[in-house]
Amino acid sequence: MKEMGKSYLLPNKYKVVGWILFVLGICGGAVMYITDFDAMEFLSIKVMTIYSDPILGKPSFFKVIDNGVFDELVAVLLIVGGFLVGFSKEKIEDEFIYKLRKDSLVWALIVNYSILLIAILFVYDVPFMHVLMINMFTPLLFFVIRFSVLKSKYLRHEE
Amino acid sequence: MKNKLKVQRAMHDFTQADVADRIGVTRQSINAIEKGKYVPSTVLALKIAKLFNESVENIFTLEEND
Repeated sequence: MKEMGKSYLLPNKYKVVGWILFVLGICGGAVMYITDFDAMEFLSIKVMTIYSDPILGKPSFFKVIDNGVFDELVAVLLIVGGFLVGFSKEKIEDEFIYKLRKDSLVWALIVNYSILLIAILFVYDVPFMHVLMINMFTPLLFFVIRFSVLKSKYLRHEE
Repeated sequence: MKNKLKVQRAMHDFTQADVADRIGVTRQSINAIEKGKYVPSTVLALKIAKLFNESVENIFTLEEND
């Protein structure tokens, strides 16, 4: 019988690539925090913007500006890496694993937005900016962690 | 839903991994089904029954609250 609902998963080989990118992204993120965001100025190149509105100067469309792309690189690593880890097939992909993946996604969204709600109500100013920054990646992070935990949980306790 | 998967496995002297390999699913699936944490699809239930040469009803049965 045809297996259903799995068409958008990537082949298993992308999982390893995903983990490498994801871990590099986490390390990059740590470097940004350790350097107190000076790392955001690393790798300065000219970039094309759709819209820019600098603190000094006028807003404009489709302008080329100078920008340290370290933070962009970290964000791309985290998002692409996280997606590859979460949405590549397992070595053996079956209906139960698929269910675990879906359950993990729901769990991650509930946990993520619960934390965000608490932060919206009780965290302000600069710390809230940090929450927003980290919150760009926590849905994927929580999803990947929860999925790994569930998979190993059901490997235990063979009598 | 209750199941007699573990009993059937013991009768045939199969490990969870043996059953998983023969049907082509993960060991997690077999483990979760045995513990009653997962209700398999009809296809998977039929495959399990076929492996043990039983009818599906002999392995999987409804409970009162189902």
